[in-house]
Amino acid sequence: MKRFFDNPAGSKSNKSNSNKRRSIAAVIITVLIFSLIFTMVSCNQQSGGNGTKVLNIGVIQFAPHPSLDNCYEGFVQGLKEAGFVDGENIKIDFQNAQGEMSNSDMIAKNMAASKYDMIVGIATPAAMSAYSAAKDNDIPVIFTAVSDPVAAGIVKSLERPEYNVTGTSDVLPLEAQLKMIRAFLPEARKIGVVYTTSEPNSVSHLSQFRELAGKYGFEIVEAGVTSASEVAAAAMTVVSKGVDCINNFTDNNVVNNLSSVLHAADGAGIPVFGSEVEQVKNGCLASESIDYVSLGVETGKMAASVLKGETKASEMAVKLISDSTPVYNSSVLERLGLALPAEYEGAEDAAAAK
Amino acid sequence: MFTDFDLMIKKGEFVSVVGSNGSGKTTMLNIICGSTGIDSGSIVVNNKDITHLKEHQRASFIGRVFQDPGKGTCPSLTILENMSLADNKGRSFGLTPGIQRRKIDYYRTLLEQLKLGLEDKTNLRVGSLSGGQRQALALLISTMVPIDLLILDEHTAALDPRSSETVMELTNRIITEKGITTLMVTHNLRYAVEYGNRLLMMHQGGFVIDAAGEEKASLGVPDLLKVFNEISIECGN
Amino acid sequence: MDIIIGIMRNILEEGFIYGIMAMGVYISYSVLHFPDLSVDGTFPLGMCVTAALISSGVNPYVACVVAFICGACAGCVTGLLHVKLRITDLLSGILVMTAMWSVNLVITRGSAVVPFYNKDTIFNSGAVSLLPDGLYAWRILLISAVAAIAVKLILDLYLKTKSGLLLRATGDNQQFVKSVSRDPGTMKIIGLTIGNGCTALAGSILSQVSESANINSGTGMVVMGLASVIIGTSIFKRLSILKPTAMVLTGSVLYRACLAVAMQLGLPTNYLKLLMAVIFTFALVANNVLAKGKKYETPEY
Repeated sequence: MKRFFDNPAGSKSNKSNSNKRRSIAAVIITVLIFSLIFTMVSCNQQSGGNGTKVLNIGVIQFAPHPSLDNCYEGFVQGLKEAGFVDGENIKIDFQNAQGEMSNSDMIAKNMAASKYDMIVGIATPAAMSAYSAAKDNDIPVIFTAVSDPVAAGIVKSLERPEYNVTGTSDVLPLEAQLKMIRAFLPEARKIGVVYTTSEPNSVSHLSQFRELAGKYGFEIVEAGVTSASEVAAAAMTVVSKGVDCINNFTDNNVVNNLSSVLHAADGAGIPVFGSEVEQVKNGCLASESIDYVSLGVETGKMAASVLKGETKASEMAVKLISDSTPVYNSSVLERLGLALPAEYEGAEDAAAAK
Repeated sequence: MFTDFDLMIKKGEFVSVVGSNGSGKTTMLNIICGSTGIDSGSIVVNNKDITHLKEHQRASFIGRVFQDPGKGTCPSLTILENMSLADNKGRSFGLTPGIQRRKIDYYRTLLEQLKLGLEDKTNLRVGSLSGGQRQALALLISTMVPIDLLILDEHTAALDPRSSETVMELTNRIITEKGITTLMVTHNLRYAVEYGNRLLMMHQGGFVIDAAGEEKASLGVPDLLKVFNEISIECGN
Repeated sequence: MDIIIGIMRNILEEGFIYGIMAMGVYISYSVLHFPDLSVDGTFPLGMCVTAALISSGVNPYVACVVAFICGACAGCVTGLLHVKLRITDLLSGILVMTAMWSVNLVITRGSAVVPFYNKDTIFNSGAVSLLPDGLYAWRILLISAVAAIAVKLILDLYLKTKSGLLLRATGDNQQFVKSVSRDPGTMKIIGLTIGNGCTALAGSILSQVSESANINSGTGMVVMGLASVIIGTSIFKRLSILKPTAMVLTGSVLYRACLAVAMQLGLPTNYLKLLMAVIFTFALVANNVLAKGKKYETPEY
C-alpha cells in the first residue's frame, strides 16, 4: 500500500523552495517595471538651461504622406517666426501614427499623460485622437489639415470652438477642381472617387463634390474603403465601372496609398487628379493645390499665440484656407496623350521641379 | 466485425471476457457504451432499448473504467471535486455550489473503504496521484451513483503487479457488495478465472467459451490456454 | 511626480479594462484549452454596439449589458461551429472573427470610426456624479477597477458552482464529462459564450473611455489577452493567495506597464507590435522554465 504514495517528505521541500523562488521572481519583476517607469519619466522632465521653462509640444502626424510632411514643415517654421525654436524654449516630440488610428490614440494618450503643454494633430484622425486624450487634462489642442472640424466633432463651430481646440482647416477648392477636370477632359462624363469611410473630412467632401458635379456635367462614381488594404481593390472597382478619371480628396488613407490608385488608373489609361502638389509630383495629372506649407505656418503662428497665453484655444476661430494654385505634371500629360488646356498655360509644372 | 452477434447477461452477473487481440472485445464494449455505432440490431439494458442513445446519455446508467488510469478522472481537479462531479451524475449541473459541504464526510467515508489513505488528501490534485490510486478512484467514482451495468475495460492492464492486485481486489469487493452487473474485459487469465461468475472467451467476433456458475468454477488457467492454442492452430499460427 | 501618477493611473485603467477581456480569454484558453481567435472580432463588436447605442441616446449601462450579450452570442456561434459542424477550434474562431468585420460595419453603418464625443457614458453620467470633486479625475480608474473586480468575483463564484466545475472538467478530460452523463460540447459552447461576452464588455468600456469606436481595434486582441493570461499565470503561479482570475488581471496590468515603459523610453510606435511579441515570448519561456519538473500546475480554487 505504501508504494502508492509518492515520497511526500522529499517533494515537499522542493515545492516550497520553488514556491519561494517564484514569489521572489514575481515581486522583483513588478518592482523593476515600476521603478523603470519612475526613472524614465523623471529623465524626460527637462528645464531650460537658463532657468526658463521649456514647453513640451507633442505633434502627431497621422500618416507619412508628403502633403502632411509639408504641414509639419510649415508648422515648425511658423513657430520659429513667432519666437519658439525647437531645442531652445520648446521641445517638440514628433510622432507618426503610420496611418493607424489605434496608434494615434496611443500616442495621444501618452502625450496627455506626460502632461505636455500642447498637442498638435496633423490630419483629422490625429486631431480626433488628440482631442479625445487631451479633453480631461485641459491641454490645448491645435490641428491642421482638418477639412471639417465640426463634422469630426472636435469643435462646436468654426467661429467659436468652445472646446480647448482650434487650428487651420483646408477647405478643398472643389469647384475649381471640377473646372480643371472639365478643362483637361472636355469629353469626360464620369469621375471616380475612392474615399475612406472613417474620415469625416472625406465624407463631407464627397457630398459637396456630388452636389457641384452636376453643374459641370459630371456623374460621380464612388467606392468607400475602411482600411489601407482595401484601397487597391476599390480603385480597380471604380476603374471597371468605366470612369474617365479619378479624383482624390485630402483622404489620408487614400493619399497614403496613392500608388495603388495610380496603378489601377494607369492600367486603364485614365488620369488621376490630386488634391495637393506632392501628389502631382508623384504621378497625378493635375491639381488645384492648397499650399500646405503655408497652412502649416499659419498653424504654427496660432499655436504660438496660445502658448504665449495671448488667446485661449476655445476662443480662437478656426482659420479656413482655401486659396489654391493649379499645378500639373507634364510627363504624365504626355504619357496620357493629353494637351495642356489654354487657361492653365501659366500653371506650375510639377515635373519640371523634379 | 460482428454478424449475428447475440449476448444476454443476467442481472447481477459478473462476467469476465478474455480473447486474443482482434477478437472483438473492445469493439463490443464500445458498442455497448455507445462510442461505436452499429448497422443493425439493438442494445437493451434493464428492458430499456438504448440503441439510439448517445454515449453520454448511456453513461447515466452505464459505468466504465478504462485501461488508461488518466481517462477516469480529471487531473487538475481535486479528489473532492472529482467525487462531487461524479456524485451529481443524473442531476442538474446548475449554479448551486459544486462541492456540498455536508457531503464531504460522506465522500471521506467512501475513500476510507479504498484503504489507500486518500481520505486524508481530499484537496490534492488527482494528477499527482499514482496510476493505481487514480484507477481506484476511477472505480469508486464510476460506482458512486447506482448504475445498471459496469464496464471494466482491461482496467488493470496498465498498472504494476502490486497495484493491479489491489485494484482487482477492490473491484471484486465493490461489485459483490453492491451487486452490480459487470462486464470485465481482461488480458489476465488468472483474474478471469478467479473473479466473477461467468466467463466468455471471444474469437473473431464470436464466443468459443461461455461458462457460468459451476462450469466456470471448474475452469483453470491451463484450460483456457489450451483453448487459446487450439484457436491459434485453427487460424494457421 | 504628477506625471508619474498620471502614467500609473493610465496603466491601471487599461490594465483593468483589458483585464476583463483577459479573464474571458482565460476561460476559453486556460480552462477549456480552446484557442479562440474570435476575440479579435468580439472586442470591436462590443465597441461598435456601444457606439451605436450611446449615439442613439441609450443609457450607457444598458449599452454595456447589450454589448456583453452580443459578444456572448458571437461566442455561442463559435461554439456551435465547432461542436455541431465539427469545424476545428482554430478555424471556428477565425470564421467568426472574419464575419464580425462585416457585422461591425453594418452596426456602424459603414463607418470604420464612430466618435460619440460628449454623449452620456458610464464615465460622465449616472453613479459618477455621486463622486466627490477631488476624486473626479480618478473616475475612470475607479469605475474600471469596480467593473474588473466585479467580473472577477462573478467568475470566481461561477467556477465554484456545479456548472463551473463541469466547465473545468471539460477542459481537463472530456471523457470524464461524458462519464457523468453530460455533453462536453454543450459545456464548450457555454465557456465560449462567457469568454466572448467578457471580451465585448471590455470593448464597450474602452470605447466609452475614448468616446469613439474603431472597428480596427480588434487586431491583436487575442495576443494581448493570451499574453496577459500567460504572464499572470506563469509569474504568479505559486502565490496561492491569488486565484487565477486575479493572476490574469495582474498579468494584464503588468503587460500594459511594459508597453508604457517602452513608450517612455521613446520606442517608436512602429516597434510596438514587435515589442508585444517579445514580451509574449519572454512570458512563454518563463512559464516553461519555472514549470520544470512539475506536472499539474493549475492552482486551487
